[in-house]
Amino acid sequence: MPLVAAVACPHTPQLLMRPDTEDRDLVLRVHAAYARVKRLLTEARLDAICLVGGDHVEGFFLNAVPAFAVAVGETVAGHFGPYDYRFPVHESLARAIVEQGIEREFDLLYTQDVALDYAFYVPLHFAMPDPAVPIVPLYVNVYLPPQPTPRRCYAWGRALRAILDARPERVALMASGGMSHYPGTDRYASPDFEWDRAMLAALREGRGAETARLTGEELDKAGNVELRTWITLLGAVGDARADVLCYEPSWHHGNAMVTWPVR
Amino acid sequence: MNAHYFFPPAAAYALNRCLFRLKSEPAYRSRFVADRETAMTEAGLGPDSRAALVAFDRDRLVALGAHPYLVFMADLRLKMERAPAAFERF
Repeated sequence: MPLVAAVACPHTPQLLMRPDTEDRDLVLRVHAAYARVKRLLTEARLDAICLVGGDHVEGFFLNAVPAFAVAVGETVAGHFGPYDYRFPVHESLARAIVEQGIEREFDLLYTQDVALDYAFYVPLHFAMPDPAVPIVPLYVNVYLPPQPTPRRCYAWGRALRAILDARPERVALMASGGMSHYPGTDRYASPDFEWDRAMLAALREGRGAETARLTGEELDKAGNVELRTWITLLGAVGDARADVLCYEPSWHHGNAMVTWPVR
Repeated sequence: MNAHYFFPPAAAYALNRCLFRLKSEPAYRSRFVADRETAMTEAGLGPDSRAALVAFDRDRLVALGAHPYLVFMADLRLKMERAPAAFERF
């Protein structure tokens, strides 16, 4: 069964717990876009969601920093304030991704015990289809240099597509991250919205392959270190034209929700 | 151009570990809120790191090698712990 859905989405925790610094109407507009994704994923009658998330130094700290990792436990859990999440992992699919990824010469880390990052559970909080499906968390190192190159992320996405297309399950591939933001830095209040808009225009034209030629330095400069998750997804969807469900620039973050037709 | 996110210097490991625990370990965060000095001693922090953390001075912490994201999210999680009613939940 080929890949049946492809979505990129934001995950900023202020969408889940809103401090009074955040524009409530903007937050609700992003929630409305998540609701559209939830309908799309529900109508796709999925067996599993493979979710590519940029780790916020949550699953992995400085004692071990994998470029790409796959969670292969029975379940994965994460906590944020009053929220406690636990999701079943689609174990056979996760294991196949690890085994076939290694076979395709991606030296993946796998783990049966890892904390779930909010890059995973914030999108699932809003967009998990009804009925819920198991997930496969696919971690990408986005915050601890040296991160994987965009070219390698794109190649990993291509390999993922080949692996998923040969599986019996109906799978959605989701990328969680971005767009421009600079948490913890001097530029936090000055995201690069122009860069985001130019990128979205390119994706609408089906020019996703160009992202493989970006450099890590460009991503850092544009506040888009997390775009590595999207670039991974773009490796899987190729030159499909993006449908931008929303782009909501807040004072610190470009919130974008995007889908791609898969064929 | 200096990168916004840089290779974390090994000398800052204890400081980054402390920020990671403030961000990700609720029990440690609660101990820090209740008794900051003991929690910082447990983390093995030197005097410069302790002073920067007490002030929660982002620039000083980053200058000491703290990862900017860890500073940001440790701060947010401490605020959530100290004033949970200040957030609207969805």
